[in-house]
Amino acid sequence: MNGSFSTRMLRTIAAWVVVAIFFFPIYYWTSVAFKHGNDIFNRPPKLFAFTPTFDNFQKVFGISLGSGGITVTPGGGNFYMAPRVWDSIVIATLSTVLAVAIATLAAYALSRMNFRGRHSFVGWVLSTRMMPPVAVAVPMFFIYKNFGLIDTYTGMVLIHALMNLPLAVLLMKSFFDDIPSEIDESAIVDGASRFMIFRRIVLPMAKGGIAATAVLCFIFSWTEFLFALTLTTTSVKTVPVVSSTFVTSIGTAWGNMAALGAASIIPAFIFILLVQKHLVRGLTMGSLKQ
Amino acid sequence: MRVAQARRFVISDHPLPWLLPLVAILLVFTVYPLIYNIWLSFHEFVPRRRALEFVGTENWVQLWNDTRFWQSLVITFTYFAIALVFELVLGMAIALLLDSDGFGFGFLRGVLTMTLVIPPAIVGMMYLLMEDPQFGVISYLLQSIGLLNSNNPILATASTALAGVLVAEIWQWTPFMVLIFLAGLRALPPEPYEAAMIDGASPFQIFRRITLPMMSKVIAIAVLVRGIDLFRVFDYVFVMTSGGPGASTYSLSLYAWQQTFSFVKWGYGATLSLVTLVIILVIANLFIRIAKVKW
Repeated sequence: MNGSFSTRMLRTIAAWVVVAIFFFPIYYWTSVAFKHGNDIFNRPPKLFAFTPTFDNFQKVFGISLGSGGITVTPGGGNFYMAPRVWDSIVIATLSTVLAVAIATLAAYALSRMNFRGRHSFVGWVLSTRMMPPVAVAVPMFFIYKNFGLIDTYTGMVLIHALMNLPLAVLLMKSFFDDIPSEIDESAIVDGASRFMIFRRIVLPMAKGGIAATAVLCFIFSWTEFLFALTLTTTSVKTVPVVSSTFVTSIGTAWGNMAALGAASIIPAFIFILLVQKHLVRGLTMGSLKQ
Repeated sequence: MRVAQARRFVISDHPLPWLLPLVAILLVFTVYPLIYNIWLSFHEFVPRRRALEFVGTENWVQLWNDTRFWQSLVITFTYFAIALVFELVLGMAIALLLDSDGFGFGFLRGVLTMTLVIPPAIVGMMYLLMEDPQFGVISYLLQSIGLLNSNNPILATASTALAGVLVAEIWQWTPFMVLIFLAGLRALPPEPYEAAMIDGASPFQIFRRITLPMMSKVIAIAVLVRGIDLFRVFDYVFVMTSGGPGASTYSLSLYAWQQTFSFVKWGYGATLSLVTLVIILVIANLFIRIAKVKW
C-alpha cells in the first residue's frame, strides 16, 4: 500500500517512536551498567547526563580498562561472575550439541519414513513441550539427588537438552520436509544406505536449518531460569540465576547486576541476528515458514 | 554375524534406531517425572520422621479446600488472558506499522528482536529497578503525571503488583508476536488487496475482512506457542514479587515450586504441579483441535 508522502512520513516516524519505546528499557539498563552508585540512585533518574564508569564491569568480570590498556584481574568477591558466565556457556553449548544431535536423527525418521503412529508420535513430542518446568523440576530434583547430579554440568546439560528437544525435533523436521525426498530415493536406488544419505546428502543440505535450531536451543538454555535455580546450588550456576546474588542485605548492587545482564545479552543477540532468516520458523517450532 | 545383523538394522529403513535416543530421553525426563509426580501426590513428607508417608487422597482434598490454590488459579488465568490480549493486539498493530519496505524498517525489526534474547529473570530485575518507588524511571514518570501515588510502590501494592509484572511480560513478548505476524503479513497474496482497493473498501474493512481471516492460522499458532508459556509463568513473579504482596501475584507454577522447596511439602507441591500440567494439556489440546493447528 503506497500512501502519499506525508502518510509514509508519518508511518516512518510512528515506527521509530514505537521501537524506541521498546528499546528504552534496554538502553536504560545498559546505562545503569556504566553508572556510579550515586547516579543510579538519583531522583529524577539520570538518563543521559552521567559520568560513565567501567567499575561495574571490572567488579563483575575482573577486567579493567586502566592506563595500561586492558588488564584482566580475576579477583575474588561475591560479585565476580566470570566463572558463572563460563558455566552458562558450557551448559548452553553442550546441551545444544546434545539436543541437536538427537533431534536431527529423530527428525529425519519423522520426515522420511512411513510408520504406524508417526502422526501421534509428533503429537507426543509436541505435548512434552507443554509440560510446566515445575512439574519436571520437582521429581528431577529427587532423582538428581539420588544420582549425585545436583549442581553438576551433566545434570544441567541433560535437563536443558530435554527442554529443547521438542522444539529441535519439530524444527528440524520442518527443515528436512523442505528437502525433496526424491533426492533420498534416487540415492537409495544407487545403493546408498539410509545413514549415508542422511550424513552425506541431507545433513549438508540442511546446514542453515541446523544452525537456526542450534541458535535457538542455545538461547533458550542461556535464558532458562527454573531448572537452573532448582537443580544447582553453589559450584555450577548460570547467569539468570546468579543475578539474584546482587540483592544483598545492604541493598541491591544494581550497577553490577546491570553489567552482567547487559554483557550477557550481546552474544545471544549476535547469534540470533545470524539466523534471522529462520527466526520465525524457530519461534513457532517449525510450523510457520518465512 | 551378530554385528553384521546389527549393522544392517542400524542402516535400515526401520525408524527405531533413529528415534531411540529421543524416546529414551523423553521417557526418562518426562514420563518418569509424570509417574513420580502422581505417586508423590499421594504421599507427604513428614519432617518428624524425615520420611515420605502414604497419605491417600489427603493432598487432593487439601487442594480442593485450599483458597490459596483457587486464588493462584484465578491469578494465573488473569495473567494469561491480559498478557495474551495485549501481546496480540499490540503485536498486530506494530506488525502492521512495520510491514513496509521503507528505509530503516529492517533495522527496526532487528532492534525489536533484542527483547527476546534477554533472560526473563533479568528482565524481571530490569523492571524491578525501573518500578522502584524512589529512583525507578517508570515510577517517576507515573508519579510526575499524577497517575501514581508515591506512597504506593507499584510492586508492593496488592492492586498494582500484577500490572507491574505484566508490564515486563508484555514488553518482552510483544516483539515475539510482531515478528510472527510480520512474517505472516509478508506472505499474504496481493490480489485480494488489489480487488478491495478497486471496490473502495476502507482500511479497517480490509483489515477485518481480508487480513484477519487470512492471518487466522498464523494467529492461532502464535496464541498456542505463547499461551503455553504464559500459563507456566514463573520467572517474572519469582524475581519481582515472590508472589506478594499478600498472594496477589502467586502463579500456579510459583505456588507449586514454593510448596516443594520452601515449605518442604513435597506431596502437595507435586499435586499442584500435576494440576498445572493437566490444565495446560487440556486447554492446549482443545485449542489445537478447535483451531486445527497442524505440525
